[in-house]
Amino acid sequence: MSDLGKVRIRVPSSIKPGDVVQVRTLVIHPMERIERDAQGKIIPKTYNYITRVVVTYLGKTVVAFDTTQSVSENPFFSFAFRATDPGPLSVEFHDTTGGRYEGKVDITFA
Amino acid sequence: MRGSSTMTRRRMLETLGVIGAAAASGALTAPARARAQQLGLNESVDDAMKRVFGRRPIKDGASLIKLDLPLIAENGAVVPVSVRVDSPMTPTSYVKHIYIVADKNRIPVVTRVTLTPAAGQAFMGVNIRLGDTGDVRAIVEQSDGTLWQVAREVKVTVGGCGG
Repeated sequence: MSDLGKVRIRVPSSIKPGDVVQVRTLVIHPMERIERDAQGKIIPKTYNYITRVVVTYLGKTVVAFDTTQSVSENPFFSFAFRATDPGPLSVEFHDTTGGRYEGKVDITFA
Repeated sequence: MRGSSTMTRRRMLETLGVIGAAAASGALTAPARARAQQLGLNESVDDAMKRVFGRRPIKDGASLIKLDLPLIAENGAVVPVSVRVDSPMTPTSYVKHIYIVADKNRIPVVTRVTLTPAAGQAFMGVNIRLGDTGDVRAIVEQSDGTLWQVAREVKVTVGGCGG
């Protein structure tokens, strides 16, 4: 599990000012599913899965995802934002164990 | 000799740091989990819809919402979903939330996306799990509070939800 929390972000290679850009992002995370015992009862424990994804561009939140265990393992998200100025775009993932994984790309104009 | 003592000291500091981080994360876990459980509970889809949207009317948004889903999902563990909504995305009129609800999942509410006008386009995509063949809905909440919905059936060959 050494890859846990590795974040990948893909932005288009050439961006013009004012463009609406679609970004794809992925984090390596188990997104644990609910486990049941032989009687079909849910085993109570803290399941480790991502509950929130926050996308920040130029210091402001653009898009946020609230997620549940119905999202796949190694969750993949895509979203759009309007590129107005060059600057950092960061995607932050929060899981139920307090883990916080961040990925960052710098938006530059070709 | 000196080298080894530095190592020990560093190692000890690291250990202390890890304990500290664990304690801090423990304190943070409780609210995060409470919020997640509010969104996604083990319940039927009717209960989920009632809980999340109350008695607010939901209109048919077929002309507004483009829901992209495979017709047949061979592997229910990874099903790509994307939603695009026709919206000007200006501060006065934009899409506030996009919900994805999978009717047959034990946890029907999959995700809630919160958008801002800075997004420029009401678009989102996510890989979801589907437990069984059934409808997947996209519900859109606009900034004025109106709700729109589209649903599409997905056939699932192998369920991906486990328990």
